[in-house]
Amino acid sequence: MPSEETKERIIKAIDLGRTVLHYGWIPFIIYVGYTRSNPQPSLIKLISPLA
Amino acid sequence: MASSSSLSTPVSIDSPSIAKSSGSYMPAFLTTAVSPFTSVYNRISQWRTELDLPNPGTVENLQKEVKNTHLTNFMFDGARADLTKGLSINPAFQVTHSFQLASQTSSPSYNFGAVFANENLFMQGGVDHDGNVNARFNQGWSQTNVSKIQAQFSQTVGHNMIQLEQDYQGQDYSANLKAVNPSPLDLTGIYIGNYLQSVTKNLSLGVETLYQRPTLDVSELSTSYLLKYVGREKDWIATAQIQPLGILQTTYWQKLSEKLEVAAELQVVAAPTRRDAVATLGARYDLRMATFRAQLDSTGKVSALLEQRFAPAFAFLVSGEIDHFKNSAKVGVGVMIESSTLTPEEMGMQQPYAGPA
Repeated sequence: MPSEETKERIIKAIDLGRTVLHYGWIPFIIYVGYTRSNPQPSLIKLISPLA
Repeated sequence: MASSSSLSTPVSIDSPSIAKSSGSYMPAFLTTAVSPFTSVYNRISQWRTELDLPNPGTVENLQKEVKNTHLTNFMFDGARADLTKGLSINPAFQVTHSFQLASQTSSPSYNFGAVFANENLFMQGGVDHDGNVNARFNQGWSQTNVSKIQAQFSQTVGHNMIQLEQDYQGQDYSANLKAVNPSPLDLTGIYIGNYLQSVTKNLSLGVETLYQRPTLDVSELSTSYLLKYVGREKDWIATAQIQPLGILQTTYWQKLSEKLEVAAELQVVAAPTRRDAVATLGARYDLRMATFRAQLDSTGKVSALLEQRFAPAFAFLVSGEIDHFKNSAKVGVGVMIESSTLTPEEMGMQQPYAGPA
């Protein structure tokens, strides 16, 4: 069994990873999609529902 | 939803196909030592190849045809609008804005979704107005071997979820392993493993085992058994699933013509504390510009859903449900608009590359 200190570190790391994914997942997909798209769309068309 | 399912087609990582294993590479002395075993293994695998059994499909998709015919998963009430914007075809990249209001069961909501997919990668994300994020990530290592991650992130404590999944489809079997909320510290969580094997060209049998370990000293194991029988022309499918505690779920699906599919489902609960059964009958018509689903079940509910396409990029939805026993009704209207930032010329240029290589 890992020590208490390691346990705490793992829990902290999981919490940090969860927060990063929570706020970063959608921007990450948009970034990947925006840079890999062919042809590259304009940013306003990406975000606005009407444009 | 129709838009997201149509998008995932170019990825085709779910499609069953045949895997062929080649010979192994070993030093000479090892080869002689293990040759009795390898020859037995080779004979069995050759015998299995000669049987020429088809892949049975995955356990997850066991009742796919029935679920696609019934409208339980498609039913909505109130008003909704889905604006989908395709920004690229290869790789596929689209964003969706969904609005929903006036529903009897849920409060008005807004949802933004983004999907990115290429031949072996699929990423999907959605966020609603409360800041709850759901995420899906599929990585296909080969046509038959796919890793999947699903997660939900929420401000509310206890609503976070992560599911790790490994899917493997062999020549005549499918296997799948899932871990829901696994904790690396004390290995608590839910673990699910399932296996489906073709026994004859039509019949396949399978097991699904669920291992639950919510806390360190509580653990529970339950196994359910699966059966799937596919008609000779693949125009009808019957499935049965027996779960512990006396739950039996049977389905039957038949394609009557190019345009008409019907499906029936019977769910029986025969536990000592509770005896219950629900039967559902449904039909789905695929017309040239419309899809119509109708459903009737033994709890007194009659429901219908019409999805009418006025233009390739514009669809109008009407749904209705009457619960005769409870004397209540639900009505829903919706629009689905798909737009593209690509000009028709660009789309024409892209089409030849759109399919998986």
